[in-house]
Amino acid sequence: MTTPYLHIDGIRKVYGEVVATDHVELTIGESEFLTFLGPSGSGKSTTLYILAGFQDPTAGDIRLRGQSILRIPSHKRQIGMVFQRYTLFPHLSVGENVAFPLRVRRMGRAEIEEKVRNALALVRLSGFEDRMPSAMSGGQQQRVALARALVYDPPVLLMDEPLSALDKKLREEIQLEIRRIHQETGVTILYVTHDQDEALRLSDRIAVFNRGRIEQVGTGAELYAGPATRFVADFIGDSAFLAGRLATVSGNRASLRFPDGTVATDVPVHGGGTVDQEAELMLRPERIELTREPGPEGTTLPVTVQDITFLGNNTTVVLRTGWQQELSARLSFGHPLVGGIGRGDNLHIRWQPDVAQAFATP
Amino acid sequence: MVTIATTQRRRRSGLGMAMPAILLLLAFFVVPVVMLLTRSVTDPEPGLHNYAALLGSPTYGRIFFNTFFVSGLVTLITALIAFPIAWALAIMPRLPAGILFAVILLSMWTNLLTRTYAWMVMLQQTGIINRMLQSIGLIDTPIQLTNNLIGVTIGMVYIMLPFMILPLYGVIRKIDPAILQAAALCGASRMQALVRVLLPLAAPGIASGGLMVFVMSLGYYVTPSLLGGTANMMLAEFIVQQVQSLLNWGMGGAAAFVLLVVTLALYALQLRLFEPRETR
Repeated sequence: MTTPYLHIDGIRKVYGEVVATDHVELTIGESEFLTFLGPSGSGKSTTLYILAGFQDPTAGDIRLRGQSILRIPSHKRQIGMVFQRYTLFPHLSVGENVAFPLRVRRMGRAEIEEKVRNALALVRLSGFEDRMPSAMSGGQQQRVALARALVYDPPVLLMDEPLSALDKKLREEIQLEIRRIHQETGVTILYVTHDQDEALRLSDRIAVFNRGRIEQVGTGAELYAGPATRFVADFIGDSAFLAGRLATVSGNRASLRFPDGTVATDVPVHGGGTVDQEAELMLRPERIELTREPGPEGTTLPVTVQDITFLGNNTTVVLRTGWQQELSARLSFGHPLVGGIGRGDNLHIRWQPDVAQAFATP
Repeated sequence: MVTIATTQRRRRSGLGMAMPAILLLLAFFVVPVVMLLTRSVTDPEPGLHNYAALLGSPTYGRIFFNTFFVSGLVTLITALIAFPIAWALAIMPRLPAGILFAVILLSMWTNLLTRTYAWMVMLQQTGIINRMLQSIGLIDTPIQLTNNLIGVTIGMVYIMLPFMILPLYGVIRKIDPAILQAAALCGASRMQALVRVLLPLAAPGIASGGLMVFVMSLGYYVTPSLLGGTANMMLAEFIVQQVQSLLNWGMGGAAAFVLLVVTLALYALQLRLFEPRETR
């Protein structure tokens, strides 16, 4: 087995009684873009801060190319980082900020000048050398911070919600920049965010954090199509969760009985499960088909239309099941039912057998 | 006076409200200063001979040297001690920081004479400091710590510390700790982060605290006269001697006016160097 480029090996961090991260286990390939996605307090930032050397783990190890980095102090780890807040040195110009890591490394003047010029060109801020950070917008400041973090060619670049202080339009613009910079430089990036869109847009792989643990690691498509836990299913993409009980269980497939007596048959079930245990059926809104006639037994449910909202490229229809649970379906523009249905109509939803999944409630 | 000027600019209608304060300042501050200045060029006879004597003679030069040297030294030592204390105050949890603050302010509010006499007791030949130094074997015979400029410096550093700590604390507290984390990840050692990031960012606080301490030291009377003795006179003592003992109002006025000019010049310098940064 080859040594992984970066190996986060069983990191555990305890503050007094509180377990911030537990058994965080992850390998990251060279030049990979991996995102830690999770709600606040899920341990993603703690893991990043341990990587940066601002905190020591209670247990576990972090190895870069097979060498543990935990005993190396922050300023010798060579790791780059872009912070959530703007952390440019306010008393230094843009050029001096980017030159800072090179100056403290006592590099030659000519070399510094060239590297600073290249780094600023990379983030498309050529010619801004003499500007003071206070005279720049938030987006520009974060780009300077990115240049400063990349100028010394770090083996790993950490980014801790770098765009959370920016507005949506600017955020999307800089996301594209970050992708381009990742492709151009091939730097390994560990990115922390609580924004699933951002994670999907940027990353090669996503590690979903919840309560100090990694719930699942995979590409965006893998997580979306095959969430391993209800948390992941809920966090990545919109989903409807229909509550029922397991009627039959065989291996990791089961059938669910809903309160109105309808049965969903032969769905993969996560989290084990015994007959009569509470469980939820997960459906993605764009995979829900809405029809006037019921579909094949076991993949269909009667519903009542509650509300219809036209949203341009799709029409969202809010539906209610026989046991008063709400879910929504999306009809693409031009769908035959659009315009033909109204509030209170009795319709049916149906789904392809391979798109539904069930999560047993522990 | 500065606050009055800015108030006027902001709200001209507020002038009437400020009149009592302005009158008070005029009557008890501006008029005496002008009178003193007048006497310095008229007493005992018209002309600049008081200033010529003051700035020309080596005896008086010694007094100026003592004053500026001690004030500078006090400012430097105060800054060196105050910086780590202000830093600690800024990063400490609330409760211990509050206690430390209380200790600093309490010493500031204790009567100045009491504190200076306390130093006289501690610094004397058989005082606690000499005995401590002897008992740990650092010195064989007691060293002279009072009636010289060492005593003055020690006593004044102690008295001036709060005036340096408070402005420094104000500036350091505003520095985002993430900036220092960024400096560390950029490869800066603790020393480099201190010199290249922390000190420049704290410079306005060092400047305003330093100016306050320096200016206050220049005109300080009680501590130098009690701990310094007559052989090592400083400017304030000289003024008191001229006016009180010799009734030489002209010379006393000239010395006071020189002190005032130096102070205002330093203040103007500080405004020019650091004001734009602070407001930025």
